[in-house]
Amino acid sequence: MSENFDYAKAIAELEEIAAKVENPETKLDDIDALVARSKVLLDECRKYLRTVKEKIDSIGD
Amino acid sequence: MGGRDYIDLLELQSRIKESIADAFPGRYWVKAEIASWSPRANGHCYLSLSQSRAGKSVAEARAMIWKWHYPTLKALFEEQTGQHLQAGITVLVRVQVSFSELYGISLYIDDIDTSFTLGQQALERKRNIERLQKDGYMDMQKELALPELPYRLAVITSNTAAGYQDFRNHLLNNPEGYAFQLDLYEALMQGEQAPASIMDALEEAAGEGYDAILILRGGGSELDLACFDDYELAIAIATCPVPVMTAIGHDKDLHIADMVANTFVKTPTALADLFLDAYAAQDALLDRLAQRIGGGLMRLVNESELRLSRAENSVSQAVQRRIGALEMLLQRIVGRISRGLLQKYTQVARLADNVQHRLQFAAAARVSQEVSVLALKEARIRATDPRNILSLGYVLVTGKDHQVLKTVNKVAVGDRIGVRFQDGSLTAKVDEIYAEHIDNNKVNIA
Repeated sequence: MSENFDYAKAIAELEEIAAKVENPETKLDDIDALVARSKVLLDECRKYLRTVKEKIDSIGD
Repeated sequence: MGGRDYIDLLELQSRIKESIADAFPGRYWVKAEIASWSPRANGHCYLSLSQSRAGKSVAEARAMIWKWHYPTLKALFEEQTGQHLQAGITVLVRVQVSFSELYGISLYIDDIDTSFTLGQQALERKRNIERLQKDGYMDMQKELALPELPYRLAVITSNTAAGYQDFRNHLLNNPEGYAFQLDLYEALMQGEQAPASIMDALEEAAGEGYDAILILRGGGSELDLACFDDYELAIAIATCPVPVMTAIGHDKDLHIADMVANTFVKTPTALADLFLDAYAAQDALLDRLAQRIGGGLMRLVNESELRLSRAENSVSQAVQRRIGALEMLLQRIVGRISRGLLQKYTQVARLADNVQHRLQFAAAARVSQEVSVLALKEARIRATDPRNILSLGYVLVTGKDHQVLKTVNKVAVGDRIGVRFQDGSLTAKVDEIYAEHIDNNKVNIA
């Protein structure tokens, strides 16, 4: 996973996807891509919670 | 030798001793600060008491606690006040003034009023809290937002504290595998030096970009918690730019350090749980999102399938209707055609009858005509019958193919020819041919 993975942004995107998927107006064709994207995001988020991050902040200073 | 009266030192000291014994016959409750403190190997405890006014020492006295009083007094004091009997604290002690010829004046302490110390502590504490509140320190830390997922943590504690190991194990060996960065800043967690030591660690950690700074005590003596009520330490915590979380681990009272901190819990384990819970909450959020997305997808698929089968139904119904309509149309057409055909057939049949009649009629007419033509022809034929001619003396000559020869051009010398008479025929061989004008054809018969 990249170091600048933005967890909050990923969560926001997931919320958006959930809202879209729950919207009955959304076409099934579009859902495919959304679901695939959500899987990537969920994986990344779950990994993020369990990943030892580098001390980039202090190195940068 | 002078005739001066004198007494020796011992006598002097003895007299002083007597006077003192007379002047201070009983025991007195005295309020004083413990200036120094030294328990000895022999079991007695020697100390010096003092009193200050405006920062200056205005009275001092030597004191001691006999070894038969010391352990009881010490234990009672520490148990009831949660504080070590040590230099720097103000106590109310019961003393007996005693004078020793050898050591001079000394105060024998045989009792300590713990409720006085408690009152002093409470008063001091109350004053400190009021000051901190008034100066706005109490809520400073509360205004700092703890990150949603605290990751970089500085821990201020003594490395030997059992609580730190508990915390470390609990936090880092969590079954979910959440990861944290944990840095230890060692400090004294009890005794007089503790506040300054903790403040140093705070200052050191504050600039390192941590998500939170944790002050853990956990384990060790229940004594010396007074350092967590220290006014200066409270200000250091309050003004720390990083959220400070405390787990000092004493449920008797809330410490001032707890009050000014961003967050406080009772035990290091509870503190670790706080972080783990924050991560678990995020995990749960992710699960919920996954469920929402999965559920939404399922609903959509179901709806689409429903719509599809509905469409399928309506299509097949439409097709059925259409087929029905076509069949009906076909039947109608077939009906019309067959009716038409029938009509046509009768028409045709009638026509055919007509034609037949006409044909029959025409045929009959034709036949009778033919009959009269025939009769005429017969008469004619009869008139030109060669036999009639033959009887007149003419003959019919036929070639090799029994054709009647009407010219010599069709005959070659040597050909056999037939000659028919009225009453029979003969064959002959051509001997010579003389071709003439068509009118004078002559056949020379050999």
